[in-house]
Amino acid sequence: MFDCANVEMRELLADLAAGTLDDATRVRVERHVASCAECASELETLRLVRSAYAATPTVDVRRIVAALPKPVPFPQRAHGGHPVKRWIDWRVAAALTMISVGGLSLAVAHRRSMEVPPRDSTAAVPSVDTPRATPAKVAVAGGAPSVSHDTTRHVGQSGRPPEKSPPKAQLAFAGGLDDMDDASIKALLGALEEMDRAPVAPSEEPDPTPVLPVIKTGQP
Amino acid sequence: MAKDHEPTDDSTDLALIARWKAGDERAATSLVARHAPALARFAVSLGQRADVDEVVQDTFVRAFGSMNSFRADSSLRTWLFTIERRLILDRRRSERRRRDDTSVDDVDAATEFDALDEIVAEEAESRVRRAVDQLSRLQKEVFLLRVNEGLSYKEIAEVVGSTEGAARVHYHNAMRAVKESLYV
Repeated sequence: MFDCANVEMRELLADLAAGTLDDATRVRVERHVASCAECASELETLRLVRSAYAATPTVDVRRIVAALPKPVPFPQRAHGGHPVKRWIDWRVAAALTMISVGGLSLAVAHRRSMEVPPRDSTAAVPSVDTPRATPAKVAVAGGAPSVSHDTTRHVGQSGRPPEKSPPKAQLAFAGGLDDMDDASIKALLGALEEMDRAPVAPSEEPDPTPVLPVIKTGQP
Repeated sequence: MAKDHEPTDDSTDLALIARWKAGDERAATSLVARHAPALARFAVSLGQRADVDEVVQDTFVRAFGSMNSFRADSSLRTWLFTIERRLILDRRRSERRRRDDTSVDDVDAATEFDALDEIVAEEAESRVRRAVDQLSRLQKEVFLLRVNEGLSYKEIAEVVGSTEGAARVHYHNAMRAVKESLYV
């Protein structure tokens, strides 16, 4: 017992037996079957199977139809051809539009208020003009002010917007070093050195400054 | 070949469905008459030896009850086969729960032969049925949907919840097994 090597013809045998092929294909398959013993045998088997299962138990069509549910009617329209549902849909759509537009406006306004002026980050530096009043809270390696000559400096890069009036004792700084020009960096370093020279009493309270990334300045 | 073996016209089905939805009960009669014989055969081929009429009726009731969910992605007959298969499997599960001491599959196989032998007594056909009944349930479903109902592999895959490729493999394995049983 072998299978025909012509896969396409073999695949079509069941369709030929079922009578579902178009005329042109049917003729083509029949020609192949006439010259192929394997396919002729398989077609015979298929016809036997169909014949064996052809006996159909009788079904009472009328009884089945009587048991069927009634069709669900289409949505009723209000008189005058004005569908009520559509009216409601319009109101919902209008409300949603208003909510969307309002939300968008709020978002735009909020975003504008959060925008950082281009050079404002450096403008905050001169505000560190009273370092002697209270211990300056500059993030320094080890958290101790005595490391003033350490070349490692911690600079905040949180990207938070600068506060309009930062506490006097803090070095306000927003943005990264990449945002600053040479003059601004020099001004910042100068302010830091001035703060380092000032007498500083160690604080009793824990340093609330969050741990910040370390940036090597490369200065001696 | 029997008339109800002829391929169905999907566009006719859709037109009849539309007419039934519009309130034409004769369209429902036409739909049932077109598909009930195939559903009855399929039920028998799945081993449903009793209450075939009831299974077919339940299939139509369920199908017509959810006709709005029929999207015509597949043919109506494929959809009906899918519903009927699920119904029969559900029935078997509940039967199995009721008779949990007995192997239902064994009982089904034995009585199925008897019931079908009453319908067709010819020796060759009886041998064919025996050969087909030796297939696994899935192989048998795929094989008979392909041979008896002329469904494509894609349609068969929809009915049995498988893939087109898997249906093709099941069909060819079944064909090989049937031929071996008959001719070796």
